[in-house]
Amino acid sequence: MTRIRRLLPLLLLLPLAACAATSPFEGRWRLDKARSTALDGWTAWDLVIQSAGSLVSLRHDMEWRSSRHSATNTIDTTQPVTLESFFRVEQRHMALYPAKGGRTTARAAWLDAGRTLRVEADTPIEISQGQANMRLYLEYRLVEGDQALVLIELHSTRSQPLVYRFTRVTETK
Amino acid sequence: MRRLLSLLAFSLVLLAAGRAETAARSAFVMRWDLDWQVAGGLPEKVLLLSLQGLANRTAPQLYVVHPPEFQWEITAPLFSFYERKHGVKFTELKTADEALTKFAGAAKGYVVWDPAIPATMNVALTIAGLEDALVVTPALIPLTEKHGLKPIDDLRGRYTGQSDAQIYSDAVARYWSRCSRDSIMLLGGHAGAVRQPAVADWGIRQKMFFHDLSANPKHPEELALAQRLLGELHPGATVFGWHSYAKDTEEQWTTLLSGYGLKMEGLHNLPNLSFNCQFTFTPGFKFTNTPHVARDAKLTADKKVYLSFVQSDSIGIGVWTKPGRGKLPFAWQVTMNWTKFSPAALEYFHESATPNDYFIGGLSGPGYMYPNHIPADRFPGLMKEARELMAVLDEHILEIMDNSAADGNVGNADLTKETVDRYYAAFPDVIGFINGYGPARTRDLRDTRPMISYDYYIDPRRPRAEVAADLNELIALNATRPYFLLVHVRESNDVNSLIEVVKQLDGPVEVVPLDVFLKLAASNQTYTTRYQDPADPKHFHGYK
Repeated sequence: MTRIRRLLPLLLLLPLAACAATSPFEGRWRLDKARSTALDGWTAWDLVIQSAGSLVSLRHDMEWRSSRHSATNTIDTTQPVTLESFFRVEQRHMALYPAKGGRTTARAAWLDAGRTLRVEADTPIEISQGQANMRLYLEYRLVEGDQALVLIELHSTRSQPLVYRFTRVTETK
Repeated sequence: MRRLLSLLAFSLVLLAAGRAETAARSAFVMRWDLDWQVAGGLPEKVLLLSLQGLANRTAPQLYVVHPPEFQWEITAPLFSFYERKHGVKFTELKTADEALTKFAGAAKGYVVWDPAIPATMNVALTIAGLEDALVVTPALIPLTEKHGLKPIDDLRGRYTGQSDAQIYSDAVARYWSRCSRDSIMLLGGHAGAVRQPAVADWGIRQKMFFHDLSANPKHPEELALAQRLLGELHPGATVFGWHSYAKDTEEQWTTLLSGYGLKMEGLHNLPNLSFNCQFTFTPGFKFTNTPHVARDAKLTADKKVYLSFVQSDSIGIGVWTKPGRGKLPFAWQVTMNWTKFSPAALEYFHESATPNDYFIGGLSGPGYMYPNHIPADRFPGLMKEARELMAVLDEHILEIMDNSAADGNVGNADLTKETVDRYYAAFPDVIGFINGYGPARTRDLRDTRPMISYDYYIDPRRPRAEVAADLNELIALNATRPYFLLVHVRESNDVNSLIEVVKQLDGPVEVVPLDVFLKLAASNQTYTTRYQDPADPKHFHGYK
């Protein structure tokens, strides 16, 4: 955690253009709603990926009507991290909320010769009966050509996967 | 005793309203299309709405049937109801010319509005109510003059280059002193190329001030004027219509009016109130809900999932007439104010109810309002009115909604503890309360009265497989049994599809009527007690 705090400013300052040379994951990706699981309670979702060393930041730029919300999860591909405000792209028509004061443990790793980023998280959720834990398994997979990204999300509490497809946002888009 | 006297007084009001019904057994009907384009069918419809408001001033004479695709789907079924239950013999008027031939005598002249300056329509509608005028665009002047009508006022040029705040300020100076203080018309809704002011007849009949002032703090001049007008209404007055889709949000306007202890009665396109208000319940009719459990019964919940569906948004714009109703237990939120404005509509819903249809009161009180913002000194009086309406309608559950801090149907829809305390004090005899629109997390149980918020909101566009997966995930996370899963069914959801969703749910799940649901929830509090937490995110913080 201390290491993340130390490196975070560096990560934030890292120009996207510079990152693009290091990893095809990096950059801004926009949800292709037509080819994704229906997103409920959000009208748009951009995923902004940056990395510095073993740290990877996943920024979620979310929209709902005129509202804008941005939240970043920074994970480490070499060791588990504890996040005090883990952002989960929830289905907002379900009464599930990040547990107040809850801490999320997240683990991450590069797979498939760096073409897949795996993130696992245990996150506390406020439910109507109190609090429960949700285990998340996420794979961010680059699609052939590196212009599309697929996120497959599994919940320990949901039988069906959520599959989101993103397309790379170029500067002209 | 006081309660009995109040009920008696209320019944006398209904009887008085019913006098017009016996005097008018013949009426006229028009069948409209869906063309509300400002550059198309709107001007003629506005003319006819002003005619309807004037023609219906003293007796119910003109009714409009809208196509089934119109947001208020009940106009055709209610037309048949008037024929069948009230013996009204309708004669159809096919054109504006025919309507003017019949009713031009109800008007003293006409007022001209300028479609290039949208606010002039509302100013003209205000004038129409005060001066018994028809509202026309320049193109419709020849038609009205053909029927012998002369100009009363002409707004062309008067407001050129002025902002809405300036236009309405001028209108307030000219007309507000003569307008009703019991109600006001917020005629917003659709804006731009299409407008749907179908509630205008009612505002003209009742001599209301028409406007579409913004409640958005980004428009401080309009907001200040709106606040002035609301502050000058009588206590408990009603704001009819709807906010402008181009200026502000439903949450902003409802928050604003709630702060004055006023009631909202939507929408901007609610049709035929000038006709409907003059009928009462048919002789001998009395509301009797369909209880599924005795009021004093004590039930014990089993170790399973109990699911209950609620349809709000007032039943008139819901799925009442769509196939499938009756196959699942459904609670229907009744806009209780219709007891005053559209009793025949309520009787129509009641007579066509199936044993699975259960009516509940709402929304938050005797009209649509956000209770976190109702002034403390206005709350008891408003809720007394709500109790009286619920008694007439045989309703024993109150639905509460406060989206003042929400962002549409997501976000913070919770009640403060102070608000919850007030409801428990004001409604000692209810079976319980439900809360929310989107999901919320206000929950309580005091004596036998639970307060349960929606755990899920079904967006009509959400694929049914995902709805089933969402519900199963809630069931998996809320692992203690019994689990009480309250589901809000948004208008236009199809009941048949919900039957298929229920078949896909995991575990022992029982769909129960809402009264049974709350009785069971009173037996075993497996849900937390929770109120709005000041630390919870708020999309909008209100005006104070």
